[in-house]
Amino acid sequence: MSLVSQDGNLKVSFTLNGRATTVQTTSTRVVSDLLRDDMNMKGTRVSCGRTVCGACSVLVDGFPRAACSTFTFELEGRDVQTIEGVEGSDGSLDPVQTAFARKSAFQCGFCTSGMILLAKSLLAAHPDPDRETIIAWISSNICRCTGYELIIEAVQDAAKAIKAEAGA
Amino acid sequence: MSEQKPLRVVGQPIERADAHAKVTGRARYTVDLAKPGMLHAKVLRSPHAHARVVSIDTTRADTMPGVRAVATGPKLAEWVAMPVYGYFIKDQPILAMDRVRYEGDMVAAVAADTEAQANDALAAIRVVYEELPALPGIDAALDEEAPELFPEPPRGVVPPYGEGASAKLWPRKNVCYAFRYTTGEADVFDGCDHVFEDEFRFSRMHHMHLEPFVCLAEWLEGDEIEVATSCQNPFPLRKEIARIFRVPENRISVKVPFVGGGFGAKNNCKTEPLALVLSKMTGRPVRFCMTMEEAFLTNTQHAAVLKLKTGVMADGTLVARQSHILLDSGAYSDASPLVAEKAGYRITGPYRYKHVDSVCECVLTTTTPSGPYRGFGGTQATWASESQIDMIARRLGIDPMEMRLKNLVALHEPWMPGESGVDSDMAEGLALVAEAIGYGAHKKAEPGWTRGHGLAIGFKDGGGVNKPAQARVKVSTGGDIHLMCGTVEIGQGARTALSQVVAEILGAPLKRVEYLPLDTRYTPFDQGTNASSAITVMGQAVQRAAVSVRDQVLQMAAEHLGTDVAALELEDWTIRHGNEAHPLAPIIMHVYGGTGFEFTGDGFHKQANDHHAPLETKSVFWEIGWAGVDLSVDRETGQVKIHALAVSGDAGRAIHRLICRGQDEGAALMGLGQAMFEQMIYDGSRLINGEALMYRVPLAEDLPEQFTSILQEQEHGPGPFGAKGMGEGTMLPVPPAIANAIQDAVGVRITDLPLTPERVLAAIIAAES
Repeated sequence: MSLVSQDGNLKVSFTLNGRATTVQTTSTRVVSDLLRDDMNMKGTRVSCGRTVCGACSVLVDGFPRAACSTFTFELEGRDVQTIEGVEGSDGSLDPVQTAFARKSAFQCGFCTSGMILLAKSLLAAHPDPDRETIIAWISSNICRCTGYELIIEAVQDAAKAIKAEAGA
Repeated sequence: MSEQKPLRVVGQPIERADAHAKVTGRARYTVDLAKPGMLHAKVLRSPHAHARVVSIDTTRADTMPGVRAVATGPKLAEWVAMPVYGYFIKDQPILAMDRVRYEGDMVAAVAADTEAQANDALAAIRVVYEELPALPGIDAALDEEAPELFPEPPRGVVPPYGEGASAKLWPRKNVCYAFRYTTGEADVFDGCDHVFEDEFRFSRMHHMHLEPFVCLAEWLEGDEIEVATSCQNPFPLRKEIARIFRVPENRISVKVPFVGGGFGAKNNCKTEPLALVLSKMTGRPVRFCMTMEEAFLTNTQHAAVLKLKTGVMADGTLVARQSHILLDSGAYSDASPLVAEKAGYRITGPYRYKHVDSVCECVLTTTTPSGPYRGFGGTQATWASESQIDMIARRLGIDPMEMRLKNLVALHEPWMPGESGVDSDMAEGLALVAEAIGYGAHKKAEPGWTRGHGLAIGFKDGGGVNKPAQARVKVSTGGDIHLMCGTVEIGQGARTALSQVVAEILGAPLKRVEYLPLDTRYTPFDQGTNASSAITVMGQAVQRAAVSVRDQVLQMAAEHLGTDVAALELEDWTIRHGNEAHPLAPIIMHVYGGTGFEFTGDGFHKQANDHHAPLETKSVFWEIGWAGVDLSVDRETGQVKIHALAVSGDAGRAIHRLICRGQDEGAALMGLGQAMFEQMIYDGSRLINGEALMYRVPLAEDLPEQFTSILQEQEHGPGPFGAKGMGEGTMLPVPPAIANAIQDAVGVRITDLPLTPERVLAAIIAAES
């Protein structure tokens, strides 16, 4: 349970990119403001501000959530992953990041953090997704630049790479 | 400057230069920037389409918590030399002076410690309006009874035009600009077997760039200006800021980090003048970040009405075309005169005519100002032109593909008198997309559905008019390459492609090239990142800068080694001389002394002025998009299902194939959205779907069953290694190709966009009754 102090502030504890984290915040603070403004983690990008475009997607217990429309108190006890937590501690890229980089599955890059997290969640749920499954999942996020084909191919490449890694 | 050696960087499957920054989330955009002491700006917007501003009372807002400044139009004179901006016509006020002209017009602004405080203060501002009649569209604005939106027309300029082209400012009521292009004699209509007149309507889209309009501006002591902004044309913006505030350009620094999409919207002033006013008032840095809803109220594509009259022979030979295009320019002229120029000029598309007479007028209405949008007048023109070509072919009983092939301007043939030669074989591109959809061999449709095929060709001049570009390449003693140029990385891959050109010429790996941050104080001049100009215009400047450095290095090495330049090659900062390899660093230290040296090369490119060319310069290159569509229509519901969409662009030479592919596919999907559903919907002058939930853009699930993009490399481009510009071409032909396929399927012609099931069904019912 989160603690509510006399001045209405909240103490919220959760796991952020693998590390136990406790923040003092207010009841109206949304996760995107917490990350970007309070914690200086700018990789989570806000665009539409109303849960539609998916640019600000973060993973909460492994599933995508719109950080712009999630209250910080909703994170209590949850496991949160942002784009900053996707690469390895040695700076090595995750297979999804590598696939996006190799496929040029981005242009302006503003949707990319959200797309990569969405793809990670998708591949966790469906390690061997068919095209329809990929389309169904990534249709929750908007990319205004690529026309999506290269993103779909990057997700397919990432699935193969993860499988190859697991098999090796 | 031909390069005979096998290419090692250009055209190779290498990662984009910005890949790591973007896949790790580390890329920094203007929206990510902050400064100590920074204030946040928010604006109060007009709730009326058209009204006189009677009074503005800010007394309560002035003293609210956290509020540092409140600005209104009448108070601007204290802080600003010229409170208006615009491209050809300076008509848009930083804040409304005495009148508001659309719902969303900016009336007052607050700078406060937080955005929430700024918003609270806005709610406390009292504005008294006296409503005036709204002009919600082209018809209303041109009505005899309509009031003038600008009773005293603001000043503007008409640029010099070449043979056949001309323009007028304020030619009639509520029309701010009219462009005309004419060539050949109108009497050729008399010899035509048929003359067809048709009218088309084009709906407007919003750019919906994901990064908002945002800047961080600071008015520093001593009247020095620093602005970081999400902007496509920092040098013209600097010029506007200098004029607005009467500050010398050398005291202004405009910086542009990564830009999160623009599609044309981020040309010229958006947030910057107002943020600077507030910074000047407070002495603090000011961040002005609009919401997406505000972006919808700031800039849009032009809706249009296009009337075409086309004379043709019975065998399908095109003879003459007259056109009258009306663009809905919204409340302020913005880039409308430039869009009018292009829509008017491009109305004949890729075909040969003996006579052309095209007029395009910019009609001011009480709606969101329309501005530059991917395709820039070419989208509107292609929609009408490529629809009518199909209609004419069917009326004459000629296959629409045959009719196109019969009339295409040939490779190297000047497109219009005085123009440059067309630099793609257009028949080749058409054959590719036709083959990809199995043109003419209709597959079976599901019961109740009918199948149809459609083709179209988008055609536009590319590279822009009056675009001088400069670039500088510096190489340090150790061989680290600095590339300085003003092309903004907006997603199109310019950083990568231009760096590849430099790496190729200097025999270096791509990783050796650093594309330096853009700052108008230090970056060489460029007109802007638009018109698909980066690779053909800036690319040539970059190429020359790199060649200059290479030549200097080889000259120095030849003198040092006592041999001819021709005997030497530069490879990975090592001089190859036959079988010998001489690393450059020691040679440089020897020649220039122990502190080392830096080689600097400058490059410049501008298409030559030419009064015989209608737009005063011949088109730098021709941007062409081909599209083929295979679809089915449900006769019961009007629903359209796209089985296959094939598009093709000609990169001339692809500097980076995946980047080219992404540009073509992204443009095509934007075209698909425009064709099928995407549009700004107005109830009178009120935008009713101006936010992400209500405004539908294409998602992955909107992809056709089969989506093919075919990248051509015909190698006729003027850019480095034969490259041509990309990124707009394949957007143009998609809507007409779909409309053409619908007619092929069910025999009805839809002349208005988008091609909604309601429209298709209504046309089917009308045809049956």
